[in-house]
Amino acid sequence: MDTKQCAAAIVSGLKKAGIDFVATLPDEKMVEVIRAVDRDGEIKHVPLCREEEGIGICAGAYLAGKKTALIMQNAGFLNSCNALTTTSLQFMIPTLLLIYYAGDIADRGFTTLGSVTEPVLQAMGIRSYVLRGTAEIDEILRGAQILADDSKKPVAVLLTKSVLGVN
Amino acid sequence: MCTGWATREWWAVRPSDGNLKTRTLGLVSSIAAGLALALPHRKVIAIDGDGAFLMNLCGLPTIALQGPGNLIHLLFDNECYEASGGTSTASRTADAVALAKGAGYKHALWVNTPEEFRSAFLRALKDNQLTLIAVKVEPGQPNGLPPLRLDEIENKYRFIRYLEATEKKGILNPGFDSKL
Repeated sequence: MDTKQCAAAIVSGLKKAGIDFVATLPDEKMVEVIRAVDRDGEIKHVPLCREEEGIGICAGAYLAGKKTALIMQNAGFLNSCNALTTTSLQFMIPTLLLIYYAGDIADRGFTTLGSVTEPVLQAMGIRSYVLRGTAEIDEILRGAQILADDSKKPVAVLLTKSVLGVN
Repeated sequence: MCTGWATREWWAVRPSDGNLKTRTLGLVSSIAAGLALALPHRKVIAIDGDGAFLMNLCGLPTIALQGPGNLIHLLFDNECYEASGGTSTASRTADAVALAKGAGYKHALWVNTPEEFRSAFLRALKDNQLTLIAVKVEPGQPNGLPPLRLDEIENKYRFIRYLEATEKKGILNPGFDSKL
């Protein structure tokens, strides 16, 4: 699948998981996903200036019944740690975190970021799943959403180059 | 939606399950904006402080871009981190109204008297326009304010049940024994 087909499959997976409210801050590798979110008439798209405010926006939308996701790079996840702790976890508010896994195996330039991402998620008690194959998109996104909803906590899905169809 | 010590004052004059005390410094305006976007037919009021406002400046352009007309953003500026010991914030020199306007708020104003506040608030309510109403206040709280008895979890559940009752719809999932 090319980048646009992967993006379409991811957005389709989000919708099958019931997601209807998505805040985003782009990594270059997720631009097609964000464009597909923006075009979709059934998803409310909120572009962000900094990821931490997205945790707040998604929390407010959740209180009113929205199923939310935040699309960002792992640097943005690190930007969000306080809000994830003192809003999402403290109030037990679920949200799906779709995180581009910069510094993952075979990804040049962000090895430090890559090396701290999963340990920080683990330290925060946020369960995470690495999504590599396009065949798993629906299962992982739906599963992560059910887990988030049921545990009332954020759940992270780490998106790799292969599932995004990028080099 | 309230932040900091203003929470206890608001709760004392208007106790309600429709109040939410936020915890992350700065995030009250963003949480209120998310709620306002999800409930466009309801009115949402964010009670912000200067320390929180300055911490989340990058939230302002995001809110202005969405422009939820049902959000009224109140800023009570006492020029200090009162709930954190009272040291000064930068709001002595930073102009919150200019910051909001620069971020894209079409309506942002300072008010100086209770009458001006009332008039600006009623106008924002009636015209359904995103508005920042900022006012300089003195530090300090009235004596004898009742303590808040809610932790975050109870506050959240009561808030959601309040919305369910007033919106006449289910929000939380129906239960562990049913299919999600």
